[in-house]
Amino acid sequence: QEFSCQIWGIFFLKKTFKGNLRNYWNFLPEGFINTQLFTRFLSRISQDSAGQFFSSGHTNNWAVLVCTSRFWFNYRHVANTLSVYRSVKRLGIPDSHIVLMLADDMACNHRNPKPATVFSHKNMELNVYGDDVEVDYRGYEVTVENFLRVLTGRLPPSTPRSKRLLSDDRSNILIYLTGHGGNGFLKFQDSEEISNVELADAFEQMWQKRRYNELLFIIDTCQGASMYERFYSPNLMALASSQVGEDSLSHQPDLAIGVHLMDRYTFYLLEFLEDIHPASKANMNDLFKVCPKSQCVSTPGHRTDLFLRDPGSVLITDFFGSVRKVEITTEAIDLTDPIKEVEERPANGDVHKEMHSYVDQLPVSEIIHQKPKQKDWHPPDGFILGLWTLILLVFFQTYGVKHLRHIF
Amino acid sequence: MSGLPGFLIDDRLHFPSCPSQGGQRFLVEMAAPLTLLLVLAVTIRAALFRSSLAELIAERVEVVSPITAWKRVVEGLALLDLGVSPYSGDVFHETPLIIYLFHFVVDYAEITFMLADVITAVALYMAVKDYNKQVFRKQKFALEADRYPLDCLELIRSPKEMYYIPLKVAMFYLLNPFTILSCVAKSTCGLNNAVVALFIFSTIKGNTLLSAIFLCLATYQSIYPLTLCAPAMLYLMQRQYIPVNFRRASFWWFIAQYLFMYLGSLFVLICLSFFLLGSWDYMPSVYGFILSVPDLTPNIGLFWYFFAEMFEHFRLFFLCVFQINVFFYTIPLSVKLKEHPVFLIFMQLAVISIFKSYPTVGDIALYMAFLPVWSHLYRFLRNTFLVSCVLLACSTLFPVLWHLWIYAGSANSNFYYAITLLFNVAQILLVSDYFYAFLRREHHLTYGLYLKRKDGSEATLVLK
Repeated sequence: QEFSCQIWGIFFLKKTFKGNLRNYWNFLPEGFINTQLFTRFLSRISQDSAGQFFSSGHTNNWAVLVCTSRFWFNYRHVANTLSVYRSVKRLGIPDSHIVLMLADDMACNHRNPKPATVFSHKNMELNVYGDDVEVDYRGYEVTVENFLRVLTGRLPPSTPRSKRLLSDDRSNILIYLTGHGGNGFLKFQDSEEISNVELADAFEQMWQKRRYNELLFIIDTCQGASMYERFYSPNLMALASSQVGEDSLSHQPDLAIGVHLMDRYTFYLLEFLEDIHPASKANMNDLFKVCPKSQCVSTPGHRTDLFLRDPGSVLITDFFGSVRKVEITTEAIDLTDPIKEVEERPANGDVHKEMHSYVDQLPVSEIIHQKPKQKDWHPPDGFILGLWTLILLVFFQTYGVKHLRHIF
Repeated sequence: MSGLPGFLIDDRLHFPSCPSQGGQRFLVEMAAPLTLLLVLAVTIRAALFRSSLAELIAERVEVVSPITAWKRVVEGLALLDLGVSPYSGDVFHETPLIIYLFHFVVDYAEITFMLADVITAVALYMAVKDYNKQVFRKQKFALEADRYPLDCLELIRSPKEMYYIPLKVAMFYLLNPFTILSCVAKSTCGLNNAVVALFIFSTIKGNTLLSAIFLCLATYQSIYPLTLCAPAMLYLMQRQYIPVNFRRASFWWFIAQYLFMYLGSLFVLICLSFFLLGSWDYMPSVYGFILSVPDLTPNIGLFWYFFAEMFEHFRLFFLCVFQINVFFYTIPLSVKLKEHPVFLIFMQLAVISIFKSYPTVGDIALYMAFLPVWSHLYRFLRNTFLVSCVLLACSTLFPVLWHLWIYAGSANSNFYYAITLLFNVAQILLVSDYFYAFLRREHHLTYGLYLKRKDGSEATLVLK
């Protein structure tokens, strides 16, 4: 606890320092002197941080990663999406909580000189395709309608679970869109587009249906900031790679593959995320600083006015990672002794009850019986008796008792 | 002058006496035509059962209602086989005795319903035959007592014209398209009609106990035949020569007897039904359902549309108004028709069929079967053409407007309700027309056919 106090203390004091976590270690001796004085203060902060860990409000994480463009020359959009997928999966979100939509298959494209790979760095440094990618919506399934249906949950009953966004009101969702866009729209599959109004309404539907706790929206397209202009639902934070009127540019081509491999914003986002690990305390303010104008040529934008928490208190892992709630206990459990079976001795020594022959161990005939044995309902005997007695009484009253003599 | 087989001697009419009325001979006289009719009716129904129309008809809302649908009976029995009370939920609204009956005959349901129709027809046949004998006997006594004015000879009925009436009644019931539809749809209305027909038969034969028991069975199944108590009591009192006079002790004593038998058997039946399933679940499911009308599926009645658009605040009030409307006509009609209880039965049946909460065409078929009995009133009926045209037109328009409303979507419920209203108005007109004609004939029989005012000029009769 002392340790974490110091880390937090240094972080608090040196919060202007931008950089990686490993640089904090260099400042440990310097801050050590001050620790004695601020111990109580720092312990309160650590309690706050521990409290903050449990008070972020979400219990599960989802990610919806969409690449909207097809054709070989849009290789970089698929690589964008796959790099975010890779980071998100590495930081702990399982495939069951990721909806990955790729509009075209680059890894197995016949123009790919290195099949089954999608690279993000030139000279084939990093294969973001990996060998355990699970694409949920592929090819022509990536449409505006399917995207909106995934978001709002209005899918036909036959949709498998892997294609559904099964979030609840305690879910933090990361939505990443990339492709070609313009002022107020994003192009899907070269044939249709989604507008910023539609997107805002979809998020409002999600809010009204309590499908998210907090939502982080990242878009890497030309004039991407226009897509988050119309949001009006609470708890949305949005990042875009360029402002209205600017184009997002691609990063670098690989001459062996022949296309641009990544877009600039996502390239630097990937570099930023590569330094994040599940216990990292980096927050959103660091994310806003990814890819400044000097690196990105366009001006990235962000929007936090709809977000209820202070972005400085929102961890990167709140959206990119998966929550792990760990309870630390000081008890020791001894797992070395074998588990003893309790033996039952019957009192009067009839052992046949315990011994099952192999055939009778499972009541198979009852298990696999196709038609359930229906016990047919029968009217109670008293009822039948009463009814027929009455009928006979009436009959004989009507036709006279003298007929009885003829019967008997 | 119609060809009367009577002799005019000394300004008095003599008729030859009727053929002897042996108790066993009432069927023998017309056995052959009746059997032929029964065979024909059964053939038609069997043919329709085998065709594909059976499922189509079984779904028509004009033919089946939530209390009479066969689908619900099967559902209830299936629920019972699965160990669930059939009255849980809003599926099954039949009485426990129906459960008991169909538990054993559910595989032979078609035969059961055909048998019910046959029983109804035969019971009505024998009832009307007996009634005709009574009518003729009373007429004979009245003639011999010189109670008819001389100019109403045309109105006197002869055995010859009355000979075919029972057969016509049976024919009207069995070959009525409404009855055939109701039987093919396996609507339990057919069973209800059978019980009512047996009640009428036992009443006309004069058997108080059986009459009370069958009336109790009919009331037990649907509450409305309760109103038939009054005509039954009037008829039985007439038959036993008890004068209908409030001051007489014998009048009250008979009423007490009949009511005791009726209420006693009702009590026995209800307790017996309790023992079938061991619970009182059936009371709200059957009687609560009939009285409180929760199901507003369109039918040929008047309740559904009205209660679909009713505000909850007024629902109870209008429910009471509508239900009282069925029972309300009993007392005035009995006061007016206390000499003619069988006509009162006809009127009551018609009122029940029109104003009950879930009417079907099977109910209409029952009172229409009686129309040949009053065929001698044809000369006083004023609206036959209108009524018959409207009834025919509405019967054909029902499925058309249903299709337009539900399937084509180009009409709405107002269209269907308009036809329902028109259908019921036509029925009311029919019934009131017969009422008028009956009363007018009675008036003429008392005061003569050609009415004259005091100064001798011709007068007309106006029903007020």
